[in-house]
Amino acid sequence: MSKEYLGEFEELVLTMVGILQEDAYGNAVVELIKDRIGREVNLSAVHVTLYRLEDKGLVKSEMGGATQSRGGRRKRIFKITNAGLAMLQTMKEMRTDLWKLVPQLKIVVA
Amino acid sequence: MKDWQASVPQWALRFLRWYCPDYLLESVEGDLLEEFEADVKTYGIKKARRLFIQHTLLFFRPGIIFRNRFSFQSINQAMLQNYFKVAMRSMAKRKLYAFINSFGLSIAIACCVLIYLYIQDENSFDQFHDRKERIVRIHNKSFDQQLLDEGKEPYSYSAWLPAKLADVLQDELPEVEHVTRFNSGTEGVMRYGDKIFKQRTAFADSGFFRMFTFPVEQGSTNKIFRNLHEAVLTEKVATKFFGNENPIGKTFTFSINESTEYVVVAIVAAPPAHSSIDFDMILPTQAQPYFARNAESWSAFSYPTFVQLKSADAIFNFGQHLDTLVNKYMAKRYEQWREREKIPAQYKVGEFDVIPLTDIHLSNQVYWHKVSDEKYAWILMGIGLLILIIACINYIVLSLATANSRQTEIGVRKVVGARQGQLINQFSAESLILSIVAMFIGIGLVSILLPVFNQYTGKSIAFSISNLSQIVGFMFALAIIIGLLAGSYPAFVLSSYKPVVVLKSKNSAKLQTPFAKGMVILQFSLSSILIVSSVIMYKQMDYITSKDLGFRADKVLAIETNAGWTKASDDMINQLRIALSNEPSVSAVSGTSTSFNRGWSRYGYQVNGENKEAYVFRVDENYLSLFDMQLVQGRNFSTTEDTSAVIVNEALVRDMGWKEPLAEYLNWREDSIGRGAPVIGVVKDYNFLSLENDIHPMFIGAKNQTFGHMTTALVKLALGDLTDQLATVERAWKKTFPDKPFEYTFVDQDVARQYATHQRWMKIMAIATMFAIIISCLGLFGLAGIESLNRIKEVGIRKVMGASWWGLMLLLNKKYMLLAIVAFSIASPISWFFMQEWLDTFKFKVDLTWDLFALTLAGGLLIALTTVSYHAMKAARINPAETLKYE
Repeated sequence: MSKEYLGEFEELVLTMVGILQEDAYGNAVVELIKDRIGREVNLSAVHVTLYRLEDKGLVKSEMGGATQSRGGRRKRIFKITNAGLAMLQTMKEMRTDLWKLVPQLKIVVA
Repeated sequence: MKDWQASVPQWALRFLRWYCPDYLLESVEGDLLEEFEADVKTYGIKKARRLFIQHTLLFFRPGIIFRNRFSFQSINQAMLQNYFKVAMRSMAKRKLYAFINSFGLSIAIACCVLIYLYIQDENSFDQFHDRKERIVRIHNKSFDQQLLDEGKEPYSYSAWLPAKLADVLQDELPEVEHVTRFNSGTEGVMRYGDKIFKQRTAFADSGFFRMFTFPVEQGSTNKIFRNLHEAVLTEKVATKFFGNENPIGKTFTFSINESTEYVVVAIVAAPPAHSSIDFDMILPTQAQPYFARNAESWSAFSYPTFVQLKSADAIFNFGQHLDTLVNKYMAKRYEQWREREKIPAQYKVGEFDVIPLTDIHLSNQVYWHKVSDEKYAWILMGIGLLILIIACINYIVLSLATANSRQTEIGVRKVVGARQGQLINQFSAESLILSIVAMFIGIGLVSILLPVFNQYTGKSIAFSISNLSQIVGFMFALAIIIGLLAGSYPAFVLSSYKPVVVLKSKNSAKLQTPFAKGMVILQFSLSSILIVSSVIMYKQMDYITSKDLGFRADKVLAIETNAGWTKASDDMINQLRIALSNEPSVSAVSGTSTSFNRGWSRYGYQVNGENKEAYVFRVDENYLSLFDMQLVQGRNFSTTEDTSAVIVNEALVRDMGWKEPLAEYLNWREDSIGRGAPVIGVVKDYNFLSLENDIHPMFIGAKNQTFGHMTTALVKLALGDLTDQLATVERAWKKTFPDKPFEYTFVDQDVARQYATHQRWMKIMAIATMFAIIISCLGLFGLAGIESLNRIKEVGIRKVMGASWWGLMLLLNKKYMLLAIVAFSIASPISWFFMQEWLDTFKFKVDLTWDLFALTLAGGLLIALTTVSYHAMKAARINPAETLKYE
């Protein structure tokens, strides 16, 4: 694996940014995580993670246009970079490779 | 639609804006508001507000805060530079005040650091043992009638225990890993070849070397003391006797009561200064005099006992098991004692208890030769704090008083746009700079004062790599605290000036604020407390050293016979007298069982069913005349008879209620057949114990070894040159007793040494008082200077109007005198209260009379007056034309 390590939550947020494309900002990520996997995450945690991903060069951000809602504050829109995509790809492949090595047993509910 | 925005908690938003980096703020705020809007719809306003606050607070996390680029730093740096420059200039402009402030603060810092070192040293005792948390010392708590009579808790504590206890502990309690008895401080004569010296030794069991961490430097302590002729030495003793030879395997003789040969099997590291357990050399417990007699005994309490448990948790069970064990072996004895001593049923006769090794040093209720009282640390801390407060007050008062000249600066800064907060920062920065300068001077002072401090406190603290970083850290913390503490009040006052008022008028800042007055009174009071206390201490020590003790001990030598508790000792006194009989420089020779301040022995006996106690000394017929003691009745011992006769003191006569003491017999050995010892004389009461004690009943006996043995020779020298006389006595001693070391002390010095601790504390108080006086006088000097400068025109006008020099002096000094008197009347009762407590440790003490206080007040006023009148004189002398010509 590459020298950069991605935590579970970071990977989750990164994936969500990838899914949301043009509409990825803090609240949207929180909502999507809640909708998709039913996990309640904290807004501040998402923000911090997004900034960290930006530091690592996996996402980039720019300010969106002005809106009437949100008290007139602009959104910071995040976009996944090529590096970010590559990272997601590597991690997925790696996991698949490892999964293949696990003896394929049936999960038996005792 | 917009109404939800009105209910956003504004303070939370402000808080967010304060810490959130600007470039992130907008989007974060947006997200939060969006969420809030949604929450209002889902949960209602109240919960939404709570959630909003919760979310904002959650954003206050390192991941956000540290994204701040601290962009304001560059601006601040410029301001800081300016603060620094201005601070330096204002200090340079008023060098005297800068000096007074930093000098006072540096003394205070030095004092605090020394006290910090003292406390640290106290707490470091016995911390160096690897297994320290598993080692405990057992002590005995027993009923004490004397304490009950004095109305105190009727138990006395002692670490000295029966010898048998150690064996029983090892055999019967499963949680006990090692046990050792440990006795230190027995002196004997050690001989190797032609080297004969008196040598102090300790006695311990083999467990000692498995429990305590005293590293073995040579040889080995494995299987030690299986052979009872083995010895362990420290480097110092080894070098003293064996020089550069390898000490291991060497044989030497050691004699206390009889001579025994020992082989050196190991050299261990000497115990450090902060060890409660100290020794120069160690012999097996079995070699201790009278051990054979006590080994199986439960009633000879002579052996301190240390235990190492298998685990630190076992200590809880150990206490209980110990109780059971003591019950098993001691219960019957306790009952006998209760009956014999008539101990009331509600009190326990005795019990055994345990304290951890690391607590020994500060548990002063159980006597141990290195034990220390926590009280002293508190007293020192109090003194340090007093000096610190005094120095801080100097700073506060002086900066308020000099504010006058900073007014314009403050005004201009405010007009240009400085906020009050910035000015507060500026003045705080100034006081910080000053206190950090003071810190550096303080470091210098500490290194100068440390040797003196060590001497007075009996410590051996030194700077080392390990404590240096701590000290520097402590000093920095102290400097910052002082800087902020002392700087904050002036900073608030100065920064609150209104620019219009300051720039327009030139009001003179007199010492008018009640706050500053209060500060000066407080400062004076604190100094006065120290002054009065040290005067009282001085008086008491003076009283003690000059009091008539009932005997004269000047030019009396006490020489230990070093022949043990035997008849040989008694014989040596006579031999010495014969050897010195023709020497004109020796006026008398006598002997005693224990010389002054070398201990005592006390007997308890019953007379007509009543418990009595008396101190007993074995002496000879020359004793009374040698010390110039007066007989009030009867006669001295004769040279030929009186084998069982005693001479008693007046206290004993009073205690027994005798009308005709010379017709009485003192049956102190509870002889059931005879009537006891005939009383042949009554000696006038003399202080055979220190003045901390009353004169208790006492008797002396001669000629008979039931009174003990004379282990100390006393030689009274005639008038003449001391060096020659000492040489004469030494020559005679060496000739008569070639195998005994000639080691002597002067009895009057021994007597004085009883008060060494008090003397030391008096000196510490004196130094602290000196510092306090210096600091507060410096402060006063500065204050008076500023005041007279501020009133210089008033003085000029008064002079023109015809005021006399005396009148002006009175005008300028009156206030300070009043302040000093007020302060003194606050301080007197406080110090009286504390010193009464200290004086209560003495049974013989000075009375605290009003004239003592009056004299101290007069002295204090004189000091204050001298300090302030320099400026007053200068102001009163100045030509009014000089000061008024610009008006």
